[in-house]
Amino acid sequence: MQNSNTLPKPGESTWLWLIKIITGVLIIGILVLHFIVNHYLGPEGLLTFDEILQYYRNYPIVPIMEGFFLVFVVSHSLIGVRSIILDLNPSRQFLRVLDVILVVIGVVSIVYGIWLLGAILAQAPPA
Amino acid sequence: MQSETRKVTLSAILRWFDPRKTEAGNWAFILNRVSAIGLTIYLYLHLIILGKLAQGPEAYDSFIDIVRDPIFVFGEFLVVAGGFIHGLNGIRVILNSFGIGVPYQKQLFFGLMAVAVIASVIIGIRMFTV
Repeated sequence: MQNSNTLPKPGESTWLWLIKIITGVLIIGILVLHFIVNHYLGPEGLLTFDEILQYYRNYPIVPIMEGFFLVFVVSHSLIGVRSIILDLNPSRQFLRVLDVILVVIGVVSIVYGIWLLGAILAQAPPA
Repeated sequence: MQSETRKVTLSAILRWFDPRKTEAGNWAFILNRVSAIGLTIYLYLHLIILGKLAQGPEAYDSFIDIVRDPIFVFGEFLVVAGGFIHGLNGIRVILNSFGIGVPYQKQLFFGLMAVAVIASVIIGIRMFTV
C-alpha cells in the first residue's frame, strides 16, 4: 500500500494539512455528541422544534458545542475540497481565485450558522 | 471532437474503479474521496435546510415530517455509513502520517472498514425500526 496521500501535497501548506488533521480528530469526537443529542435523546429519533429549543435552553453547552462543530466541519470540508482540486493540477491563478471563493464560503457558512444558533435561542419558549 | 474527449475521460474514470487492477491503497483512496464528496454535499444541504429553524416551529416540524419518509431515512443511512468510512479511515491516515502502524496499514484498513460495516448495520437497523 502506498503512503502518498497522507502527507501535505504540493501547494498545500503544512499548516493547512495540520488543521485538516486536527479538525478531523475534533470532528470525530464532537460528532459522537452531535449524534447523541440529535438522535438518541429525542423520543422519535429526529428532534422537533420544541425539543431542540428545550435542549438548547436546558443545556447551554449544546449550542456552544454545535458552534464549534460548525467551525471545525466547515474548515475540514473546505480544506478537503481544496486538496481534491489540487489533484487536478490547477494553475496558480485558478488556485488563487479558488482560495478566495473557499474563504468566502467558509466565512459565510460560519457567520450564517452562528446567526442561526442565535435565532433559535431567541425564539419564544414553547407553551 | 468533444464527445471523443468525454469518452476518454469516462473510460479513465471507469478504469479508476476497475477492481481487477486495484490494490487496497487505491480502494482506501477511492472510499475516502467518494465519502468526502458525499459528506461535503450533505453538510451544506444540512446547513441550508436548518435555516427552517429560524422560520419557527411550523416550518421546521413540517420539514421533519417529510424527512421521516423511508427514502430520506435511506439517504441519512448513506450519510452515517459515509461518516463511519471517512472517520475510521481518517484515523488510519493520521496514524500513518505520523509513522504509526505503517507496516500494518493494510490490516488496519480492512479492520477499520469491518468496524465501519458492523457499526453502519447496527445503526441502520435502528434507523429503520425505531
